[in-house]
Order: sequence, then structure tokens, then C-alpha cells
Amino acid sequence: MSRPGAGRVTSWRLALRIAAREALRARGRSVLVLVMIALPVLAVTAADVLIQTQSVSSVEGLDRRLGSAAAQVVVPAEGRPMIQAFDPYDGNTSDGRKQEPPAAADISAALGGARLVVERTGGVDVRTDKGYASADSVEVDLRDPVAAGLVDLTSGRLPQDAGEVVVNRALLDKGYAVADRLDIRGKDAPSPVIVGVAESPELRTYPYVAGPVGSLGVSAAYAGGPTWLAAGGPVSWETVKDLNAMGATVLSRAVIEDPPPASEVPAEIRSWSSGSDNAVIAAVALVVVMALLEVVLLAGPAFAVSARRQSRSLALMAASGGTPAQTRRVVLAGGVVLGGAAAVLGVILGIGAGWLLVPVVQRWSSTWFGPFDVPWPHLLGVAAFGLASAVLAAVVPAVIASRQDVVAVLAGRRADRPPSARSPIAGVLLIGGAVAMAVFGTTSGDTGAFLIAGAAILAVLGMLFIVPVVVIGVARLAGRLPLSPRYAARDAARHRTRTVPAVAAVAATVAGVVALGIAVTSDEAENRGTYTPTLAMGQAAVTGYGLKPAKWDEIEDAVRREVPDADVELVLAAAGRGSSVQITAPHHRGPLLETMTENFGSSILVAGAVPSVVPGVSAADRARADEVLARGGVVAFTDDRVDDETAVVRRGHERVTVPAAYVRFTAGSYPPLAAIVPPAVAERLGAETSTGALAVTGTDISATQQENLSEAISAVSRNAGFYVERGYQADQGTKIVQLVLAGLGAVLMLGGTLTATFLALSDARPDLATLSAVGASPRRRRGVAASYALVVGFVGAVLGAVVGFIPGLAITVPLTAPAYSDTGPFLDVPWLMILGLVVGLPLVTALIVGLSTRSRLPMVARLE
Amino acid sequence: MSSVLHLNVVTRVHGEGATEVRALRDVSFRASAGELVAVMGPSGSGKSTLLTLAGGLDAPTSGTVSVEGVDLATLGNGGRARMRRTSIGYVFQDFNLIPALTAVENVALPLELDGVRTRTARAAARTALDEVGIGDLADRFPDHMSGGQQQRVAIARAVVGDRRLILADEPTGALDSETGEDILRLLRVRCDAGAAGVLVTHEARHAAWADRVVFLRDGVVIDETGTDAAEGLLESGVTR
Ligand SMILES: Nc1ncnc2c1ncn2[C@@H]1O[C@H](COP(=O)(O)OP(=O)(O)OP(=O)(O)O)[C@@H](O)[C@H]1O
Ligand SMILES: [Mg+2]
Repeated sequence: MSRPGAGRVTSWRLALRIAAREALRARGRSVLVLVMIALPVLAVTAADVLIQTQSVSSVEGLDRRLGSAAAQVVVPAEGRPMIQAFDPYDGNTSDGRKQEPPAAADISAALGGARLVVERTGGVDVRTDKGYASADSVEVDLRDPVAAGLVDLTSGRLPQDAGEVVVNRALLDKGYAVADRLDIRGKDAPSPVIVGVAESPELRTYPYVAGPVGSLGVSAAYAGGPTWLAAGGPVSWETVKDLNAMGATVLSRAVIEDPPPASEVPAEIRSWSSGSDNAVIAAVALVVVMALLEVVLLAGPAFAVSARRQSRSLALMAASGGTPAQTRRVVLAGGVVLGGAAAVLGVILGIGAGWLLVPVVQRWSSTWFGPFDVPWPHLLGVAAFGLASAVLAAVVPAVIASRQDVVAVLAGRRADRPPSARSPIAGVLLIGGAVAMAVFGTTSGDTGAFLIAGAAILAVLGMLFIVPVVVIGVARLAGRLPLSPRYAARDAARHRTRTVPAVAAVAATVAGVVALGIAVTSDEAENRGTYTPTLAMGQAAVTGYGLKPAKWDEIEDAVRREVPDADVELVLAAAGRGSSVQITAPHHRGPLLETMTENFGSSILVAGAVPSVVPGVSAADRARADEVLARGGVVAFTDDRVDDETAVVRRGHERVTVPAAYVRFTAGSYPPLAAIVPPAVAERLGAETSTGALAVTGTDISATQQENLSEAISAVSRNAGFYVERGYQADQGTKIVQLVLAGLGAVLMLGGTLTATFLALSDARPDLATLSAVGASPRRRRGVAASYALVVGFVGAVLGAVVGFIPGLAITVPLTAPAYSDTGPFLDVPWLMILGLVVGLPLVTALIVGLSTRSRLPMVARLE
Repeated sequence: MSSVLHLNVVTRVHGEGATEVRALRDVSFRASAGELVAVMGPSGSGKSTLLTLAGGLDAPTSGTVSVEGVDLATLGNGGRARMRRTSIGYVFQDFNLIPALTAVENVALPLELDGVRTRTARAAARTALDEVGIGDLADRFPDHMSGGQQQRVAIARAVVGDRRLILADEPTGALDSETGEDILRLLRVRCDAGAAGVLVTHEARHAAWADRVVFLRDGVVIDETGTDAAEGLLESGVTR
């Protein structure tokens, strides 16, 4: 009589119908799940839409780059044959021997007689009130029809000859107006007249200037080689390859709009683009998996409660001949219905949010966005993610529901089975496996992060098995507590089907936050630990290289102008023409220093005492060094042990032996120079001295002073810079990101804990009602509810914190001791935060629950 | 008359050791086609246990339960579920219906679970509802029906698809006496049409509808009236 084949379809349809009805009946709970799943879908969709809109694909960007030309041809200076991707900007390289670069006529011929228009792109510096500002520039005949679309004229007119240019609004904002002459940096630079305002289709807040060839003095070499826009018929991939052979790269409209099969891309180029993809995919996969886990664990309790609410219906189904599979299907169908609705809703709202956000984000961006872009294939994936998370969240409740004791449920008995003795063992085994995997992950380089993420999942799963035992243990221990907490603990242990998912949800969020917290503080510890000061702490200096004395004078003037109360000390360096000064220790083999940078214009300073700006010298060493310098000796820096008392100082054929102090830099500083010689020695050796840096001392330098001075100095020379050593400073942007993450984490954790607790309490409502029926005061009921929240929150937070340590500790290894570095790993556990979580979170939830349970369990009622 | 339900020396023990409860002890019991058997006894005597065993929702500790000649123990879970979809109908005291489904959907449920096409199942369900006299309430949800109406739907669900064995556990417990009588009348009609019925009840008055009454105490059958005895009870003035 039974028809298994047809039965499956019918029974899915039946399950979906029951699930849809159930979702409508329990509106509060449905909305909760809907929001929980739709929100991440919405966020990801909006972000994706924004990213896709903001990024300009090759096709979308064609007009920006080609105007109305059929192709852009670039001849790199070398003149070797080229190979390129369809879009040469995605990859091109030379291949073969040098040859005669093609002339314009050859290119035109290869393009079937196309008309070529010269284009030169590059950058210029234009004078502003404060110094110089950089601007992107393009030289091309803008009135030529082929250039239509390269710029967007908003006022004035297009330039007619090489004495005229158009600029964008961002450049005008630097202090220019139409009809001004543009002051371009450079000795023989032209100074064209601004005749119009034209926006670049790409740059929004970055200065931009365009004019005919010659108007800006952009050299052809700057653009990567002579460049032409070709006006003519479509340029095929075959033609592109012909031109490649001649030594040119081609951006062809026809090829980009209708690309040949991907196999046409030369193998050399293809391997370029796939290089970094693996890491990106790994990171994305990690984030997706973690998000999925989080959503599943948060939505899980909602389905668990749904299944319990439905337990009578499900038992009746079984009594009417439903099989366990059919029962399972009904609960799973709940996941399908809610997940599907949430996915569709999230994607639609996400597209809307993206659409609304585009103009907002545009305002923050320096470049113009492309056209509004809805990446359907991605969004399909995102929606599938939402659906999958709901179905996954329903799996465990479905399995539990299908195993329930039908007779017991129908007789009105609660049917929580005693926990199996095997489950804690399985849990311990899983957690052990997680630890092993995490440890292995710390030693296995690139794939390590994957393994550690896997370990995190394994650990959370293992924890799920342990929760029932812990809850029962807590109930045992609660024997001597006052009535409310005792009752709550017993209740939690009796009704594990609702307690366990709630505890698990709390634990999962806490584990995530703890793991992230350990990672972030350890990362911070690494940044602090590996910070190498450029100058001694609190010191300020102007450094520069290759500057003429006149420039140094200008800089000194700027310093005195901007920081009037500062003393300026010249730091002299042994530099200049001729052979350099060499220092060796008589009894030491090998170089004194393995590595070194030149922070002060030269590796050797000339001074009678160690300049105060030199970092990484301890006070004792400084005294010893100063004493030797005063005696006419030298200071040589080393990263080795040197026992000599003297040093041989050479320059060309000259050599002297003088007393020497060998000084090691303190740990954690990178040697900024090799030696200090006294002026007398430099003179004896005939070494020229010049200014290496200006130490700015005697006053505290404010941030504004620093900014103003930096700007003034950069106006004097590009090769000079001003630096104030303020020790390790956490990057402002990173700090903000961390704060936002912490805020989000807190909201997620509190929200997750509260929803899980309220869901569990909504299931406990009949019991609370009975409690008041036998005479419990509202206060007592509030106490019981709050105590229940406390038990759930506390067990969850403790377990979560413990489990969070596994991936948290492990991830610090790849994070702070990457394969190529010889420092680390750094470990800094945010104990205070963890303590706050374990103690604070349960208390806060209990407080909120206690307050909102006031008279009629208002929030619980809504969740029903 | 072939027996549709046959319990053969059935014992059901709950728990172990100190908490051991013998809900049924060596009970043998038959119900034949066309026959309505009433099971009576004080609370805790094992009446409900007997019904859950008969419906295959629970398994005996020893002894065999056969429905239409098939030993339920040999069927496995899937087979027993199929039996409940096709051969056995259940009626409970209360909370009988799935609140998320309309009356007609509740009745069609066993058929749909069995893979019958939705439209066919609905049609059969409407007929069954007509038979119990509430065809006009087919599209209402249980929440919007009276207890008696709900119980009629439950009976329609128990009989739909020509089920041969109908098990009713105090089906009138939550109803007033008049409505209760109506429900019993429906059961009686169904049995007269060829089904075997087992009715658990507290009230002697209701037992009068039965062909036979079995008395249980502490899990043991202590008395069994024959057809004659049942007829004797009829002298209390109840007509059928
Ligand atoms: N799951 C169980 N665990 C332990 N004992 C049980 C269980 N189910 C039933 N019992 C016991 O078995 C005995 C028979 O129970 P049953 O429900 O069959 O009684 P009943 O005759 O239906 O009673 P009532 O008229 O009150 O419904 C009772 O003593 C009961 O306590
Ligand atoms: Mg009973």
C-alpha cells in the first residue's frame, strides 16, 4: 500500500506546508530567525554590491581609458617583443631579443591604416600655497574626436594649443581658478593657462590636469613608452598579437568587450594572476565557515525551541504513521522555509541598501565609481549561504525531534533522555583532536590557518557534547544554593533540550571573541615588540639624502620658522666624494655589523659625542662612548662581541689606529649607523663632512607643528623628511577597526546570549506559570528567570572561554611569527577582557532577563 | 470472525529494580472485525499501555502483538509506521489535532504521509469528514473548533483510508456527556461497517456501546464479559 517513490515528494511538500504554517503561527520566533539569517546576508550583499559598483571592470572602464578610440597602443622603451593579457594592465612582459621599436607608421599599417593620436599620461607637481601637490596628467589633443570621453568638460572650454590646459575641481581646490597659470614644478616646465574645468572620469578628489601634447612637459618615457590612441576599425586579438611581436602592447576595445577563450592568454601571464588568489580564497573560505558556524549556532536554539513546541504535533504525526524521516523533514523544512525567506529578503534588502549607500561611499572615495552593479552569481552564493545556515541550524533539532519518545510526549511527559555516558568522552576526544590539529596548524606554514580554523570548529563541536554533563554537574553543586538559583539550575539540567543549545550558542560567541581577542592583543604585542625606533625616544630630526648645503640652510630656516623655541643641532656625516671611511677591530674577524640602515645620510657620523638623536644606545654605553670620543677615539657599533680596545680607521691609503668603544645596540633596535668618529680623526683621514641630519631639540613638538614643518620641508626637497620619535603608536585606523570589531562582538555576544536565553525561557513558560499558580510571587519568578539566565550565561561563558583558547593561542603563531621572520611568536592574553566576559556577560544577561521578566514575561511572550 | 488485533500473553515492564512497574502482566486479548471492545479499569491499571502496544507505538517486554495476523515485532520501525498509516487509527483524549493544519489536512495526513497524491487524499478526507457530520468545517483550524468537533475530526482521521483497527483512549474524556455519546455512536457505526475497535473508558455508560468489556486491574485482566454480558448492560436503557 505504501508508495515510497511518490511518497518522498509528497512528504516534502507536506513538510514544507506544515513548516510554513508553523512559521506563521510562531511569528515572533520566525521573525527572530529571519532577522538572524537575513542580517548577515544583507550585510554581505550590500558590501558586495558596493565593491562591484566601486570597482571598474575592464569593459566598464574602456571609455575612461580609450575615449572613443578603437585601441591604445604602447611601445615600451625596450623594443622587445611583448606578450600580454587581453587587458595589458592585467599583465604584460617582454619576451625575446631587443629589436628596433616600431614607428608610428608601422603601427598604423598593422592596424589597417588607423589614424594615430599621441597620448602621454603621467604626473606633475603643481605649486600650492603650502608647497607642492601631485596631480595626474594626460597630454592628448582633447578636441580630437578620438579623445571624446577621456574628460568630462563641466565649464570653460577645451584647450586649443600647447599653452592651455583643463583641470578638475580637486585641483582648483588647491588654490587655482580658471584663467590662472598653472605653476608646474621643474626647471623648464611650461606654465599653461587654465581654460576650463574638466573632470576625469576616474579621479574625483585627486588633482588632475589635461592638455595638448607639450602643454605639461610630460616626458614620453614617464608613460612607460610612446603611446597612441588609434582611430579605426575594431582591433582583433590576432592584430594585438602581431603588434606584440613588433614590441607594442595593445588595449583593444574589441578584445575586451568580446574576449577570445581564456586559453588564448599566454601561459606566462596566466600564472601571474593566479599567484595571490590562493591566499585570498583561503581567507574568504575561513571567514565564510566561521560566519556559517556562528549563524548556525545562534539560529539553532530557535529551531530547537520550535521543534519542542511542535513535539506534540510531531508525536501525533508519528502516531498517524509518520516515519522518523518524515518527522525530521518537518523540522528541516522549517529551516528551508525560514532560510529561504531570509535569504531572498536579505539579498533584496542588501541590493537596496547597496543602492542607497553608493552615493554615500562615493563621497569618501577619491575615484569615480563605475555603473551600479549587481553581481548576481555572487549573490546567488550569498543567498545559498543563508539558506544553508538555516537548514544546518535545523539539523540537530530535527534529529532530536525524530528520536523523541512518542508515547511519553503524547502522555504529556517531558521526554529528555538521560545523557549518554559516551557523549562526554566523545567531546573530550573531539577537543583533544582540536588541540592536536591546532598544534599541528602552528607548524605547517601556509595551510596552518586553515587547520586552526578547522580546530576551532572541532573544539566547538566537542564542547557541545560536554555541555549536558556540565549542566548536570552545576545542578548537583546548586544543592545548597537559595531556592531561585537552585530551582533554575535543576530546571536547566532537567530540560537539556532547551538548555544545551542556548549554552552552546553563548559558548560559541564567547569562544569567537576570546580567540579574536587573544589574536588581536598578541598582534599588538608583536607590533610593539618589533617596533624599531628611528631616533632616540622623544627626539626629533630632519633627515635627508643627497641635499646641497643650500637646501639644508633652507630647511634650517623652515625649522626655526615653524618651531621657534627649538634648538637646531647639525648632525655631521662623513660623506661626500672619494673613498669611504672603513673601521676594523684588530682582533675581530668578519664584519662588525651584519645589517644596517643609514638613517642620518651616511653610515658614519662625525661628532665629539654621541648625538642625542641616535637610538638604541644604553645610558652606560653612551657614557663610555662619549668618554672615548673625548679622548680622540672612535665609536664602532657592532652586533657581535668585540673585546678590542682600539680600532683601525682607514680611508683609501690613509690609516690610523685609535682608541675605540665597541657598542652593541639594545635589543629590538635596528642599527641606524655604523660608527661615530671625532672631527679630528675625520680631518686626519681627509674625509669630507656634510650635514647628515638636523636634530631639533629643546622643546616638545606638537602634532600640528610636526605637520606644518613636514609640509614646509617637502616643499624644499622631496628627499628630506621630518620625523619625531614618539615610540610605538598603534595605528589610528587599526584602533578604530578594533573598536568597531569589539563593539560588534559585544553586541553579537549579548544579543546571542539574550536570544538564546529568552528562547529557552519561552519554552519554560508553562513551568513559570505553574510556579506562580502555586503561589510564587512575581519577584520569585523574576529571580528564577534571572537565575536561569545566569546558569546559561555562566556555563556558556566559561566553556566558551576555555574553548576559545585553543584557536586563540594557536593562531598567534602564524600571526606573529610568520615563516620569513626571526622574531616571535608573541603572546598576550587579554585576561581582563576574558574575566570580564566570564563574570560580566552572565550578570548582564541575568540582569536584563530579570528586569524584563517583571510581570508577564513580556519579551518571552513576543518570542512565542 | 477473524481477529484484527491479537495480544498474546503480553507483559510490559517499565523501569528496572526499585522503580520497576509492571504495567501489563500476561495479558491476552483479541478484537475482531465488526467488534467494539471496551477496556475498563482504575487509573494506572495499564489501559493506555495496552493501546500503545496495540498501535505499535511501544513494544512489549514479552509476548506478541499481532495486527491483521502480522506480529508487529517482526516489522521494524518503518513497518509499524506503515501499519499506523494504513491499518491502525488512533483517537486520543485531547490535543488530538495538529494545530498548524486545517481539519481536512489533519484528516488527510496519514494518507499524505503514505504518499497518496494531495488531491486524492483531500477528497478522501472530505468524505470522512462528511461521514462524521462536519463536512462544512473542513477548512477550519483546530483552534477554531469546539472540543466535540475536534474529536470528530480525530475520528475521521482514525478511520480515513479504510483502517481496520481503531484504538480510542478515553475519546470522550474532555467532552460533555451528550457530545460524548455522539462520538461513541460514530465509533459504533464504524465497527458495524467492519472495523475492529478498542475503546478505553472510565464510564460504564460508555461501555454499553461495546460488544464486549475487558476489565484490567494492576496490569491483569480480571474479568471479561461476553457478548451476552454486554447485552445485559444494554438493559440499562441505552439504545443504539
Ligand atoms: N514511561 C513509563 N515509565 C514508568 N512507568 C510507566 C510509564 N508509562 C506507564 N507507566 C506505569 O504503568 C502503569 C500503567 O499505566 P497506564 O498509563 O497504562 O495506566 P492507565 O490505565 O491508562 O491509567 P489512566 O486511567 O490514569 O490513564 C502505571 O502504573 C504507570 O505509572
Ligand atoms: Mg490512560
